[in-house]
Amino acid sequence: MSIEHHPDDLMLAGFAAGTLDHGQHVAIATHLAACPKCRDFVRVLEQTGGAMLSRLPPAPMSSTAFEHIQSRLTEPMSPAPIALSPASVSESEIPGLPEFVRRYRFGKWIWVAPSVHMRPILLPHPSDTRVFLLRSGSGTKMLEHSHSGVEMTCVLSGAFRHEGGRFGPGDFDFGDDTVDHQPVVDDGQECICLVAMQGELRLNGLVGRLIQPFLRL
Amino acid sequence: MPDRNKEAARPADWEARIGAIAAHQDRTAFAALFEYFAPRIKTYMQRSGVNDVRAEELAQETMLAVWRKAALFDPASANAATWIFAIARNLRIDAYRRERRGQIGETSDVALEFHADEAPQPDASLASAQSDRRVRAALAALSAEQVRVIELSFFEEKAHSEIAKILGIPLGTVKSRMRLAMKRLRTLLEEQS
Repeated sequence: MSIEHHPDDLMLAGFAAGTLDHGQHVAIATHLAACPKCRDFVRVLEQTGGAMLSRLPPAPMSSTAFEHIQSRLTEPMSPAPIALSPASVSESEIPGLPEFVRRYRFGKWIWVAPSVHMRPILLPHPSDTRVFLLRSGSGTKMLEHSHSGVEMTCVLSGAFRHEGGRFGPGDFDFGDDTVDHQPVVDDGQECICLVAMQGELRLNGLVGRLIQPFLRL
Repeated sequence: MPDRNKEAARPADWEARIGAIAAHQDRTAFAALFEYFAPRIKTYMQRSGVNDVRAEELAQETMLAVWRKAALFDPASANAATWIFAIARNLRIDAYRRERRGQIGETSDVALEFHADEAPQPDASLASAQSDRRVRAALAALSAEQVRVIELSFFEEKAHSEIAKILGIPLGTVKSRMRLAMKRLRTLLEEQS
């Protein structure tokens, strides 16, 4: 199954430059783990980052900088060992989740709406964007909604469709305050996505408005 | 260092110098890399909004990582400047995140986030050699002007008005030129695969 929906080029450039918010960074990295095309794209952009570095005017270092660093060169040669926390979610539990994400701490699955559950991913550093797994049962019709901020979704397993097309594993969906959509999960398999969401989810329609206060998305 | 002038005449040899550090902890090679890259990394850090003292520290940390990670450098997949840029960028991201709420009990390695794909796969080395070739070919086919507009907007984070001034083009053209550069890059990568 090939990936049809990719992040916008400008988002990938922001990723390569390292200027994205942490939560958005996680969503893009999750897509990249599945998408060799976008990985190559990011690699070319990184090369332009190298070209930029060579072109920058030098800012003088302090006179003792080199001496100082020399005194540290005898420290162990190998890359600084990093005590990585063990994965808290196994590959078989949530297929398609990159390993670095599986090492984050996860909250518990929370009921959101009939046959919809979410599980917060607790980033080690605070971010303006909340990141969570969203699990929707087969055939679920999500409420029509729009956003007050930016929402990035990467499908891990299963599939959904909305006005923008069909989204299967690895596909990346983007929503902001200009997009109103009502995703429907494909029949036959539940759908698990990683979502990075900035701002609040706004549910349209009377029912949505009535239940919104209870939704903790 | 009597060789300094001679070496400065071959600026393209940064890759060999990193190799010399990996092979025999060559301090002369490191000194040359430090002299060229540290002040430029410092500028990069300053422009990303940290103060001078921090910029200097981050430039030093980057160079120390260059020394320590030299054995991991693969000249087939990136040139020296790109590899060093990625190290500097990752340290910058890490520093930014820590600043937002001090250091908490967990360690994270930003580099892992950029290599989410590096899970062992049977055909990994073949795939990565093909990807190296695609990336090199696409980069070579982009015009200097297109590389420049990407550089300015994303890596130097210049406002569009500044980019317009630097490139001598109308403000309204900046965004479309950026989009075109990106589109061309996509096309080039498609052609290679």
